[in-house]
Amino acid sequence: MPEKLTSRNLLNQLQTRHYTNAYTAKMKGQLVGWATSIFPQEFCETMDLTVVYPENHAAAVAAKRGALPLLEQAESEGYSVDLCSYARINLAYMKSQAAEVPIPLPDFILCCNNICNTLIKWYENIATELNIPMILIDVPFNHGYEPTPAAIDYIKSEFEECIRQLETITGRQFNFERFQEVMKLSNENSRAWKRALDLNQAVPAPLNGFELFNYMSQMVCARGRKETGELFKLLIEELEEKISLGKSCYEDGEKCRVMWDGIACWPHIKHNYKALAKSGINIVCSSYPEAWVLLYEPGNMDELARVYSMIGNNTCMEYQADRREGEVRNFKLDGILFHVNRSCKVMAFMQYEQQRLVAARTGVSIMNFDGDQADPRNFAAAQFETRLEALMEIVSQNKSAKKSKEVMNNDPA
Amino acid sequence: MITAGVDIGSTSSKVVVLEDGKKILSKVIIPVGAGSSGPARAFEQSIREVNLSREDIKRVIATGYGRTHFPGADQQITEITCHARGVYELLPGVRTIIDIGGQDAKAIRVGQGGIVSNFIMNDKCAAGTGRFLEVMSRILEINIEDLADLAALAENPASISNTCTVFAESEVISQLSGGTSREDVAAGIVNSVVGRVAGLVKRLGVQSEVVMTGGVCLNWMIIRMMEKELAIPVMASPMAQLTGALGAALFAFESAR
Amino acid sequence: MTQLKELLSTLEHVAKHPAQVINKCLEDKRLMIGCTPEYCPEEIVYAAGMLPVGLWGGATSIRNANQYFPAFACSLVQTTLELGMRGVYDQLAGVIIPAHCDHLKCFGQDWKVAVPQVRFIPLAHPINRKLEAAVEYLKSEYSRIKSVLEEIGGKPISHQDLSEAIEVYNLHRKTLREFTLIARDYCTTITPSVRHNVIKSGYFMDKLEHTQLVNSLIGELKKAPPEEWKGQKVVLTGIMAEPKEILDMFEEYGLAVAADDLAQESRQFRTDVPEGKDPLERLARHWSCMEGCSLLYDPQKNRRFMLKTMAEESRADGVVACIMKFCEMEEFDYPIYKKTLEEAEIPLLYLELDLATPSLEQVRTRIQSFAEMISLKP
Ligand code: SF4
Ligand code: SF4
Repeated sequence: MPEKLTSRNLLNQLQTRHYTNAYTAKMKGQLVGWATSIFPQEFCETMDLTVVYPENHAAAVAAKRGALPLLEQAESEGYSVDLCSYARINLAYMKSQAAEVPIPLPDFILCCNNICNTLIKWYENIATELNIPMILIDVPFNHGYEPTPAAIDYIKSEFEECIRQLETITGRQFNFERFQEVMKLSNENSRAWKRALDLNQAVPAPLNGFELFNYMSQMVCARGRKETGELFKLLIEELEEKISLGKSCYEDGEKCRVMWDGIACWPHIKHNYKALAKSGINIVCSSYPEAWVLLYEPGNMDELARVYSMIGNNTCMEYQADRREGEVRNFKLDGILFHVNRSCKVMAFMQYEQQRLVAARTGVSIMNFDGDQADPRNFAAAQFETRLEALMEIVSQNKSAKKSKEVMNNDPA
Repeated sequence: MITAGVDIGSTSSKVVVLEDGKKILSKVIIPVGAGSSGPARAFEQSIREVNLSREDIKRVIATGYGRTHFPGADQQITEITCHARGVYELLPGVRTIIDIGGQDAKAIRVGQGGIVSNFIMNDKCAAGTGRFLEVMSRILEINIEDLADLAALAENPASISNTCTVFAESEVISQLSGGTSREDVAAGIVNSVVGRVAGLVKRLGVQSEVVMTGGVCLNWMIIRMMEKELAIPVMASPMAQLTGALGAALFAFESAR
Repeated sequence: MTQLKELLSTLEHVAKHPAQVINKCLEDKRLMIGCTPEYCPEEIVYAAGMLPVGLWGGATSIRNANQYFPAFACSLVQTTLELGMRGVYDQLAGVIIPAHCDHLKCFGQDWKVAVPQVRFIPLAHPINRKLEAAVEYLKSEYSRIKSVLEEIGGKPISHQDLSEAIEVYNLHRKTLREFTLIARDYCTTITPSVRHNVIKSGYFMDKLEHTQLVNSLIGELKKAPPEEWKGQKVVLTGIMAEPKEILDMFEEYGLAVAADDLAQESRQFRTDVPEGKDPLERLARHWSCMEGCSLLYDPQKNRRFMLKTMAEESRADGVVACIMKFCEMEEFDYPIYKKTLEEAEIPLLYLELDLATPSLEQVRTRIQSFAEMISLKP
C-alpha cells in the first residue's frame, strides 16, 4: 500500500520543484526574476514569470550550514559585517554561485520595502552589478495607524508603473482577467494559511511552531499558486485531526506556550529546537509567518495597496503592540521569546518598547536573546540556554501568582 | 649618521639603532608597551648597548600604537608606513604585508619603492587581533606564546564561530566543559583569528609575495594556517617584531640626510 | 584680516555652542522646531516664522537610549535619542523625523514614547521619487506638516510665506556652494574643522543671517590671493565627518578638504528648490530633483560616477569614506564606489565613525597612514 502523502512531504516536493523549475526556466532561456519576500507577487504571477526569493534562499543556505563561506566572501568584497546577513549571503552568491542549493541569476529584480529599507540598498547593488532592470514598489513607512489616502494613491500609481515595466521587460501584455484570478487564488491561499496558523490556538497546540517557518516558505514562494492551496488543505486536515484527538505536538505535553518573535536563527535551528524542547517550552506561534496573511477584496486596488503597506515591520508602535496583544490572547501565551536579531535593524529597534507595552497590557512573560537569522557567528548557545531557563522560571512564577489572584477573585466577598 | 626607530606597540616596545641607514648597531625588545616605562627603557638600553648617548642620535622616529606619546621622538610615522618600509628593505619583492598587532590587524599593499599603496585595518571589535588570542589563552590557562604549539597537537580542530570576544569566550568555555580537548579548542581559536585576518587580506586583494610581520609571525603554525587560508606561500619577516622599528629608523635616516 | 578672524570665530562659536543661540531665540519668543537627519523641509518651518534647528546627534555616551536601541543602532540616532531623553531638546516646540532608513523609522516611533515632551512630527518621503505620483504624495506629507506647524504657531502659513522661505533657502544654498568652492583655494585659513563649522553653524541660525555671514566671509577671503597648499587634499563622502576630533587629525597630518559629499554638508545644498507656482509642490519636487546620496534611490549607483568626477574636478589626492558605524545606507554603497575609484586609481580610505564610543586612536592611525600614503605616492 502506498504511503499516504503528508503535508510535510508535499511541502518538500513543492520546494524542491520551486528551485528546479527556476533552473529549468533559465536553461530554456526564459526570464527569471528575484523578488523580495513580500513583493506583491500578484503582478509577476499574472505575467506567469519565474521568480525566486533570495531571502528564502539565504535562509535555506544558512539552515544547511552553508552561510559562513559566503559571508566571508562578502566581507572580503568590502561589505561590512554589520549588514543584514541575508543580503551578504545573496550578494556573495550572486558573484560565486557557491551554494548547495543553487538558484539561477536574475534577469530583472522586484523589490518592495514593506519589510525594510535595507532591501532597497541590497537590490540596488544587484541591479548595478548585473546591470539589470529593477522594479521598486515603495510603501512609505506608516507613522500613523494606517496609510494615508495620499500614500495609497502613490502606491497604486507604482502598481501601474510596475505593470508598465513588466510589459517592457517581457514584451508581453498584462492580462487583467488573469490578474483577477490570481488575486482570488492568493486570497484563498492566505485564508488557508491563516486558518492553519490559527489552529495552533488549540490547547495543546497541534503543530510545533518551528514547522511554521518551514511551511511559510510556500507562502513566500508561491502565494498565488493552486498547489499552495492543496498543501494547506492537507495541513489543515492533519491539524484538525490532531486537535480532535487532543494530541500535542510535544511528547510530554504542553508546559509553556510561547511566541517566537522575529525570524528563526537558521544556522542554529536544530540547537534551538532541542534546547526549547529540553526546557519544556513550546513555540506555538510566531509574529513572522503571520506576515504572509494578505487578505483583500480581489480587484480592489486600494485594498491591495493597503495590505502590502501594512506589513508589521512597516507599522507604528501602537499597531504592532495591538497585534502582539491579540496574539497573546488568541494563542493563550505564557511568554514571548524575542530574537534580538543583529541583522534586522527594523525588527530590533522597536522591540524593547514592544516588550514593555505587551507585558503591561497582558502580563505575559518576556525574554530576549541575541542572535542573527543567518550569520552563525552572532549567536551564543550558552546565552540562549540560560535565557530559556530564566523564561521558564518567570513563567512559572507568573502562573502561580495568577493562580493565587484567581483564588482571591473567586472569593464571593 | 646614526638614527633610531622606536616602535611602541600595545604590549611591547621595540628599538632599532641604525648607522648610515645600513648597519644595524643595536636592537632591543621589551615586553611592555604603550603607557609603560617600556619605550623609554628600550630606547635607553639600545643606545647604552653601543655606548652612545641621545645626542649622538641624529634623528629618532616613533611608530606604533603609542607613537604619539613618546617624548624623545623628532617625528611620528604610523606602523603601516614603517612596516612597508622595513619589509621593502629586507624583502623588496613583497607586495602584501600582514601584521597582527595587539590592538589591530592590518593588511598592507606595498607599491613601488616600498611605498604603501593601500591598506586595510580590522574594524573596532577585537576579533582577529592579538587581544583576542590573549583573552582566549587566559581561558586555556596558557601563555599566548604557547597557544600555537598547543594548537599544533590538535586532532579535530574545534570550530569557534563567534567573533565577538564575549560570545567567543562563552563558546570556548562550553566547548571545554563539553569535553572538547584543549588542543582542539586552541586550534579553533587560532583558526578563527587567521580566518578573520585572511578576510582583511582578501579584501585588499592577495598579491604575491606575502609576508607576515610582528610578533605573531614567529609562530610557524599561524604562518602555515595563513598559507592555507590564502592558498599562497607566506613568509615570515626576518626581523619579525623589529620590522616596524627598522622602517622608522630608515625613515629617520632618509629625512635627516 | 581681523574681520576675517572675527567672522570665523563667530561661526565657530555658533557651531560649538548652539545652546547660546537657542537661548537667544527663546528670549525673542521665537519657536524652534528640531529637524533630524537627513532631509527635512526646513522651508516650511521657516515660513511659519519658527527657527529650524538641525539635530545631528553629538559626542555623548549612552546611558538612557539603550532602553530603546540595542547596541547596533547607528550613533546618530542613538545619541540624538539620548540627548532628547536627557531633556536637552525640551525647548523645542516639535521635532520632524523623516524615515529614510530603518534606523530612522524606529527612531521616530521610539521618540514618541521616550521624549513625549517634544512633539513628534513624522515624515516619510517617497522613495520612487521620479514618479509624478511621488510629488503628489510628498506634497500631502508636507501639507500635513504645514498644518501641524500652523497649529503649533497658532497662525496660518501663506503661499507668500512659503515662497519667501524658499528664496531665503535657495540663496543660502547658493552661498554655501560658493563657499565650498572658494574654501579649497584657502586651505590654510579654511582648515577642515573651520570648513565644517562654517557649514554646521547654519543649522543653528536663521538662514538669512547665516547667508550674510558666509557672504562676508567669502568677501574677506577673496581679498587675499589664493593660498599655496603644500599638503594633500581629499574629498569627504558619507553622512557626516564627526566626531570633531577627526577633522583636527586631518589638519594635523596635512590633509585639507577639496570638496565634500556629506549628507550633513554639500548634499543639503547641492540642489536648489526648482521654480514653479505652488510652493509646496516646489518643495516636493525638490526631492525628485536631488541626486547622489545613499538615501536617494539609485539603481544604477550613479553616485559612484559623481564621486569620481568630484575627486577629479577638485583635484583631490584621495577620497575619505566617513562611514557611520551601522549605517547600512552608506555601507551598501561602499563596495560599489570602491571599485570605481580603484579603477580610476583614486586612493580611498574607509573611516568607521562612532559618536558615542569613538576609538580615536585607531582612527588616528588610519588617517595618518592615509596621509603618509598619498603624500609619498609617486
Ligand atoms: S532580515 Fe530584516 S533587514 Fe534583512 S531583509 Fe529581512 S527585514 Fe530586511
Ligand atoms: S547615519 Fe545612516 S543609519 Fe543613521 S540615521 Fe543616517 S542614514 Fe540612517
